[in-house]
Amino acid sequence: MIQKKNNIGIIAFVLLAFLVTAPLYARNWKSPDDQKDKKSYLKFDATTASQGEALYNANCASCHGTPGKNNSLKSLNPIPPDLSTKASQQLTDGELLYIVTNGAGLMPSFKNILSEEKEWLIISYLRGFNKEYVQQLSKFDPAKSKLVKLTTTFDKASQSIIIQAIANEKTGVVAIAGAEVSLFVKRYFGNFQVDKSVKTDAMGKATIAFPTDIPGDKTGKLNVLVKMFEANYGEVQKTDSFDIGIPTDKPALNEKRAIWNVVSKAPLWVIGLYSMGLISFLMLLAYLLLNLRKIFKS
Amino acid sequence: MSDKKSSEKIIADLLGHIRLSKSFMAWMGILSVSLVVCLYAYFLQLRDGMVVTGLGDYVSWGMYISNFVFFVATSLIGMLISAVLSLLNQKWAAPLARIAEIIALAFAAVAGLVIVMDMGRPERLLNVFIHGRIQSPIVWDVTVVTIYVLISTLFLYIPLIPDLKICSEKLDKLPPFARKIYTLLSLNWKGTPEQHELIKKSTRALAIFIIPVALAIHTVTSWLFANTSRAGWDSTIFGPYFVTGAFVSGTAAVIIAMFVFRKSFKLNEYITDYHFDKIGKLLVLVSLVYLYFNLNEYMVPAYKMKRAEAFHIHELFAGSHAFMFWATQLLGLVIPIILLLFKPFRKPLPILVIALMVLIGSWFKRYIIVVPTMEHPFLPIQNVPLNFKIYTPTLIEIGVTIAPMIMVLLIVTVLSKVIPIIPIQETLDHASETEQK
Repeated sequence: MIQKKNNIGIIAFVLLAFLVTAPLYARNWKSPDDQKDKKSYLKFDATTASQGEALYNANCASCHGTPGKNNSLKSLNPIPPDLSTKASQQLTDGELLYIVTNGAGLMPSFKNILSEEKEWLIISYLRGFNKEYVQQLSKFDPAKSKLVKLTTTFDKASQSIIIQAIANEKTGVVAIAGAEVSLFVKRYFGNFQVDKSVKTDAMGKATIAFPTDIPGDKTGKLNVLVKMFEANYGEVQKTDSFDIGIPTDKPALNEKRAIWNVVSKAPLWVIGLYSMGLISFLMLLAYLLLNLRKIFKS
Repeated sequence: MSDKKSSEKIIADLLGHIRLSKSFMAWMGILSVSLVVCLYAYFLQLRDGMVVTGLGDYVSWGMYISNFVFFVATSLIGMLISAVLSLLNQKWAAPLARIAEIIALAFAAVAGLVIVMDMGRPERLLNVFIHGRIQSPIVWDVTVVTIYVLISTLFLYIPLIPDLKICSEKLDKLPPFARKIYTLLSLNWKGTPEQHELIKKSTRALAIFIIPVALAIHTVTSWLFANTSRAGWDSTIFGPYFVTGAFVSGTAAVIIAMFVFRKSFKLNEYITDYHFDKIGKLLVLVSLVYLYFNLNEYMVPAYKMKRAEAFHIHELFAGSHAFMFWATQLLGLVIPIILLLFKPFRKPLPILVIALMVLIGSWFKRYIIVVPTMEHPFLPIQNVPLNFKIYTPTLIEIGVTIAPMIMVLLIVTVLSKVIPIIPIQETLDHASETEQK
């Protein structure tokens, strides 16, 4: 009876374990159909490939290894594929972009780390390992994104940031409706996304509530980054700064004198003791040399 | 009349060894050839890099640093015998002061070289001075060792001035240039009361000042270890532990030097059994103090057996370093203490054997302090070849380790051939004092 109970327990445990870990095993890098056909607006050439190589080495190589060398990180499960292989290369540009942007399985999302342009540069580098690859350029015109003007204002009453996206078309100013807008606060490493991405309304406006407890610099200044994406106009970014954080005046740890700091910031007691020792030795030396001189003169 | 005769005899006796004898030449020849062999080993290390040694990422301080600690330790004896005992008015130690000071100077001067020999890129030594941080014990160490070498030189030189005058006057068959050097170095010494007073004052100032400096050099050397949190080094008593250990090895070195000088320079009347008896007692005293510190150093962590310390202690007491550990503790410390308690063992020959045991034990004790700790880092050593984990010195490394020892012997030998190793003026003064009484 007890045996049976145990068996049920084991089966239940295995099932549960499978359910919990299933997302890890699932090859869920299937991208949505509209993303699959997405094409780069950058023309892949030697320049973009070499720019992409630097980005690849900084962001991807630690797990995927050098393409063609089959030296990806084998201790991960599943093992990250060598991206020069046929299996990886048969993915479309859009699928690759989707995976880089959103991550897959253990692979993290690079949405907040790399801009779309940089992601395309990396794909450009990877396509260099595929001789059969022929690029199909997107019909999207990147020059259009230059027409976009983003404005950010802070509304104190609602404690939120209002973003407005307009485009200075030849025909006149057009509000960009239905664009995806995200708001980030810059920190030491990477960006911190505030709330979720929202869509602009018919006026091209979007409102994102801003928290009250984000630490800023001495005056409470925060650097914010707004990203807008719209199928027609592409990705546009804008940085701005507002005095809306909590004023924080924390001196850097290496600003004070400390044993472990650089020599110009040595603790005064160390400098004092060391100099005292040295000076008393020099005084003794002077005294002795004087005595030797006296002996010689007398 | 008899006074005059005896003082002439004293001068003749004590100047007797300052001449180039055949045995000296042979001894120097042996030393020079051995040094050349060892320096060739160093050349190989310079040419091929530290890969020729057994040092690696884990044990980066092996024999060389053990050697350095041993050298700094032994050099402390100049302070104990020439300064402390003379300030305490221990008259028996007066004839030994110069021997102790020669040993101190030789070991301290070479200690700096030992560190350079441990460097893979010795031409970068200057960076210590250019980029050194005043907060770092390494900078303190460089500073105090340099100061100690300078002070030891002066401590040797200043009381020597009257003797240098005697050398320039009484040594016959001296080449003219050598006589000139003696005269120049004796600084117009005429033996006036004023000059005597100046020498006395300067020597006293040096004797007082050398005590904190000597304590500093070995305490700072101990801080190179104790200021880290490694098991076996993370100890608050490392300073005094090192200093007392230093007195043990230094006293042993002086005993060996006393025996050799007495034998080869025929100084039986000046270094007598009485001196051996006295310094034997001194060795017991310093060894007992050191034993006490050893007890603290091992007993306290062994009682608590904190994780990392426990591993270290097990390796020392019953593990791979147990033989060396117990050999140094028993043969280098406990047995010498017991034997030296009995008067017959404080006779010249037995005490020489014991001093050799103590000195060799002292060297291996430094090895026991340096190497086992390095073999047990806090982070586990994984996926490395066996020779990374277990330190084995190579032949080249042993050669490079022996080189400084030969240099010390060379310095001591040369100094003993150019200056009287027993202070003549002091012996004369002492003789005339006893005469008057």
